[in-house]
Amino acid sequence: MKTKNKNNRKRTFLLITIPVVVLFFLFNTFPLIHGFIYSFTNFRGYGSFEWVGLRNYIDLFTDARVGKSYLFTIKYAVVCTIITNVLSLILALGLNSKIKAKSALRGIYFIPNVLGSLVVAYIFSFFFTYILPAIGKSLHIGFLSESILAGTGTAWLGIVIVGAWQAIAQNTIIYISGLQTVPTDVYEAGSIDGARKWKQFWKLTFPLIIPFVTTNMVLCMKNFLMVFDQIMAMTKGGPSQSTESISYLIYQNGMSGGQFGFQSANAFVFFVVIVVISVLQMRFMNKREEQL
Amino acid sequence: MRKNMKAVLCLGCTFLAAAASMMTGCQKAENSSGKIVVEMIQYKPEAVAVFEALEKKFNETHDDIELRIDSPNDAMTILKTKLIREDYPDIIGIGGDSNYSNFLDADLFMDISDYEGLSDIKESYLEINKNLEYVPKEGVYAIPYMANAAGILYNKDIFEEYGWTIPTTWDELIALCEDIQDAGLLPLYFGYKDSWTCLAPWNAIAVDLAPADICSQVNRGEATFTEAYREVAEKTKALLQYAQKSPVAYGYNDACTAFARGESVMYTIGSYAVPQIKSVNPDMNIDSFVFPASNNAEENLLNSGNDLEFMVMKNCEHKEAVYEVLDFLYEDENIQMYLDDQGAVPCKKGDFELPAVLDGMKEYIVEGKSADYQDHYYPSEMSVDALIQTYLLDDSDGALDTFLEKFDTDWKRYNRDVIKKVQDYLDAQSSQK
Amino acid sequence: MKKEKVHERINWPVTILLIIGTITIFFPLYMAIIIAFKKPTEMTNDIAGALSFPSSWSLENFAEAMRVTDFWHSLGNSILITVITVVLAVLIHGIAAYAIGRSMANSKGYRFVYYYIVSGMFVPFAILMMPLVKQTAQMGIANRVGVIILYLVFFMPINLLLYTGYLKNIPMALEEAANVDGAATWYTYWHVIFPMMKPMHATVAVLTALSVWNDVMTPLVIMGGTEMNTLPLAQLNFQTQFGTNYNLAFASYLLALLPILIFYIICQKQIISGVAAGAVK
Repeated sequence: MKTKNKNNRKRTFLLITIPVVVLFFLFNTFPLIHGFIYSFTNFRGYGSFEWVGLRNYIDLFTDARVGKSYLFTIKYAVVCTIITNVLSLILALGLNSKIKAKSALRGIYFIPNVLGSLVVAYIFSFFFTYILPAIGKSLHIGFLSESILAGTGTAWLGIVIVGAWQAIAQNTIIYISGLQTVPTDVYEAGSIDGARKWKQFWKLTFPLIIPFVTTNMVLCMKNFLMVFDQIMAMTKGGPSQSTESISYLIYQNGMSGGQFGFQSANAFVFFVVIVVISVLQMRFMNKREEQL
Repeated sequence: MRKNMKAVLCLGCTFLAAAASMMTGCQKAENSSGKIVVEMIQYKPEAVAVFEALEKKFNETHDDIELRIDSPNDAMTILKTKLIREDYPDIIGIGGDSNYSNFLDADLFMDISDYEGLSDIKESYLEINKNLEYVPKEGVYAIPYMANAAGILYNKDIFEEYGWTIPTTWDELIALCEDIQDAGLLPLYFGYKDSWTCLAPWNAIAVDLAPADICSQVNRGEATFTEAYREVAEKTKALLQYAQKSPVAYGYNDACTAFARGESVMYTIGSYAVPQIKSVNPDMNIDSFVFPASNNAEENLLNSGNDLEFMVMKNCEHKEAVYEVLDFLYEDENIQMYLDDQGAVPCKKGDFELPAVLDGMKEYIVEGKSADYQDHYYPSEMSVDALIQTYLLDDSDGALDTFLEKFDTDWKRYNRDVIKKVQDYLDAQSSQK
Repeated sequence: MKKEKVHERINWPVTILLIIGTITIFFPLYMAIIIAFKKPTEMTNDIAGALSFPSSWSLENFAEAMRVTDFWHSLGNSILITVITVVLAVLIHGIAAYAIGRSMANSKGYRFVYYYIVSGMFVPFAILMMPLVKQTAQMGIANRVGVIILYLVFFMPINLLLYTGYLKNIPMALEEAANVDGAATWYTYWHVIFPMMKPMHATVAVLTALSVWNDVMTPLVIMGGTEMNTLPLAQLNFQTQFGTNYNLAFASYLLALLPILIFYIICQKQIISGVAAGAVK
């Protein structure tokens, strides 16, 4: 009876797993391989194509535009990740302390997370083009009197602001659940006068929520590296191609410019970069966790 | 075991049922009432209203064919996505530009030299399509519908109020801009946030100053852009001092609105912008003139090219129905309908009423003193518009040289396969002789 | 959650700072609402002009925006895609996690399958995008079905991770008891395990729903140009048709945000706790 059940169980598991794996292979691994194959062609996406060997990969490393998009994307992701995490940790500490209307405030600060990023970016785009310069002018702040999306040096900041505005919500919630795992007697052990508060946080609280920092950092970084909607809605890569993210470039030139093959190579390299960054991040964070 | 199978099947069925319930609406080619469906995609979203009207008119007068015209936003990306999907429409309506060259090169179009309507089309416009072929190809693959003209639009009322006259040379244009500024007005307004608008003055200047076939010359290795475009680039940048403060902050829509509201006196753009401008200020008195980039008035040409032309896809299965649609679109009455709405130059021979905004260019149109847009020969993935935008924003001393050098090197890289094709063709030609 | 009252004094400075901080959340929304109700003629270039109340609260812009973007259709598509994806994700990912998670401990094969699927998390959509456009078209699913299947695959890694993590807390003894009764595995899952995973179902549903609802790229490349719009896709597709009319555009933005905002206000608690639970695992 028992063995029969066991075999039955095994067979059921197999019956469930196989279709799932097939589905996953068909729509994830297979296109991945497919893309990899295209990366060795000069395919435009339609019509005939030729095999070009490693030419696309060699071009990738000499193409200034691709290089620029990597620099932009990585700069954006790093800055955004740091800003988002610092601000959400501060916000989480605030929302976790003894305050009035706690759940209402939490609810409000979470709103940006449920809104669609494309539409949010459209709204901010208007804000940066019309409202902010108007404010800057009336206050006589020089650098604000022009649209920040118009400057090659400042446009990316606009995208950082929108990216962070939306991402902070979710990270805050995660940090709050982190802070709630910290037993209250840890706090009570230290004294509560102002100067020591910082030390208390740094020495007692922070180490305990390190796993949450890891989660947030890795997820944030991965999401920001794939930034697309905000670029599409706010700058379309401009001005002067200064805000072309990798995803945007792949979409733009791969789908609408005739660079299907070349951008497949770009996409593959991008995949490797994401994996490497994520693995490194987790390694680094794990080490810190052990140290503390 | 049987129980398990049943359960798994159940799950599968739910899934399939959900899937099947949504499969409707994927049928093609013939609709429920047995009519032949002709699908068409055209790339001008601003013309959506007139094409909707034409579609309605066609369907009301034809019992056996149903015409469906789609005018999506960002049509080129959508069209290419469709091509990648191999989900071909029957007719596509795009401009005569590098996309046409690429599609043709990919052998996507049907030879329509047997279409009778071709004889009604002005030769010069058919000629332009021949120039767009990378290597000469037998047959006719596109039928031009509308041409547009680009140059400078101006606010006629303000011009008359101050008694300004139309400039015919570059120096006169600059003097005019100075006068306008002295009168406390803004001469120009740019919408360079949408980088493609950088190409409007660029093209208009380039037709006056650079050889018309410069791109093929470069492909054949006979010329460089560094030489051909130096003056074009300088003059494009020189215009910036007569425009609003940060031209990259505003887009095409903003610029149209600003011009419509009289915030600027002139606007370097094509006739295609008129409907947009009129949507903001329907009563505006707009006229145009040819961009005078050269100081020799004789050298100045009108910038005009095929703005909209139709191609029949190679695998289209109902050629007769498609030709019937073309017949309909080329009826004089329907062309006039388009002209009244969009303000363009018809490619069909005949006596059409040109829109008033083209008054200032009429002479050039009638005499055929025009040249095609240079950017129609630029590959879209090279993003020349962004290159120009970068250059316009670059204040450093070497900006011009950097830009020209980049133009030449980028050109070679993005056109590598085309250049090879041209070279092979030339080699084959010379070895034949 | 009981704490001693002695140490708990309301921290007013922090409360006030946090309340002031909500301006960053409300201001963009306020701006959107104000602009959406105005007429183009009411717009001026100074801040006061942009941010003052409209002269009348008419719904004209909204009606027009609904017409232009074919609102009800897009909304219907968005709801259909989101609901079906969420239901299927809970059903399929849950049982897959059960099969894989329970077999992992003593089978190398299953361990491999687990890591194989979970590592899919790092595959960016950008690399799959172009091949998938071709593939879905060839399979005849360049439509809502294809989009749903793709979502089921894209969210499989994270959902598998969440479910297997949760399953570890459900003691095997429970199932063994059921098995001794002679209940089939299938029966055990639906009657014992599935109900016990309820909190995780909520998390998976919330996370999947939010991502699916707001996603632009998948429907953009898979269904672009098929006249099938989701709510965000409609915003993108009709952007140029708003032309210079920012008021109309903003009315349509608000319309796009409204359904999820209403949903959020109703299910706020579940959503927040769902997101929180997802991160802790």
